[in-house]
Amino acid sequence: MIMNSWFLNNFWIKIISLILAVITWFYVNEELIKEKQMTKQLYKSSVINQIQNPSHDKKPVK
Amino acid sequence: MTSYLKLAKILIEIGILWFVYYVILIFARGTRGVYVLRGIILITLFFVITKQVGFERINWIFTKIFALSILAFLIIFQQEIRRGLANIGQRRWSRFFLKESEIINEITTACFLLSMRKIGALIAIERETRLENYIESGIEIDARVNSELLMTIFMPNTPLHDGGIIVAGERIAASGCFFPLTQNPKVSTTLGTRHRAALGLSEETDAIVVVVSEETGGVSIAIGGRLTHDLNRESLERVLGNLYRPDKKNGK
Repeated sequence: MIMNSWFLNNFWIKIISLILAVITWFYVNEELIKEKQMTKQLYKSSVINQIQNPSHDKKPVK
Repeated sequence: MTSYLKLAKILIEIGILWFVYYVILIFARGTRGVYVLRGIILITLFFVITKQVGFERINWIFTKIFALSILAFLIIFQQEIRRGLANIGQRRWSRFFLKESEIINEITTACFLLSMRKIGALIAIERETRLENYIESGIEIDARVNSELLMTIFMPNTPLHDGGIIVAGERIAASGCFFPLTQNPKVSTTLGTRHRAALGLSEETDAIVVVVSEETGGVSIAIGGRLTHDLNRESLERVLGNLYRPDKKNGK
């Protein structure tokens, strides 16, 4: 009974909040995955670049 | 095991987001911020849809507008945001331990004593939706709820008797408050301004509004845009008792 009235109290606001929360979570999750992939790609490309041109990163000897 | 942990993390994260949204929506309800929030929600939904569908240019425009609108939101609603943050700090946790039956008893006693003398009264009881906007329209009182004070406020020819009283928690927050009149065309034309104000406030917020008629002395209650006429003491106490409970459980 107590659970039931808690659930029904402001029912639509709770539902809207839940929908917004789920949308936000999935959106942020997608962005985080993209960001991770991008970082990985950047790291990979920099590593490959270093392997291909090892002299490129060397500091000039004084 | 790790998949269960992952799922639990996801659910907790969504739960936290849900709580934040819920608190924001509850806080915004009854203030002008609710219209802006509606707009933001619609823009966000449109933004998500355009992103999913792959309308990159539309999405780009919305990204820029959204970034600007956040700044505009902060500037336009700085007062509301400040008040909201202050509320979190000053939240009346003592309300959790309130003896609500005492408050209900005081309100009911005042209503029926006023009814016997045919003195009009309008009392709004705040629930989850904050009534700050309406409190600001009246004169701040911040006193303990007691029947003698309620009766004194509504005595005719006194400076505070016009308008309504707002009871927030265990306190009489303000008196002489202006409530919005109902715009419902179906409402009987015989209803006076006091009853229309009670209906109007109950339509816009989740407040319970008790009205004592000046003409008949009848006690009515408005909840969710519905008016129940001619209540007796027992039924008023019962209705108020039932409607106070959800608020108590939420620990407000």
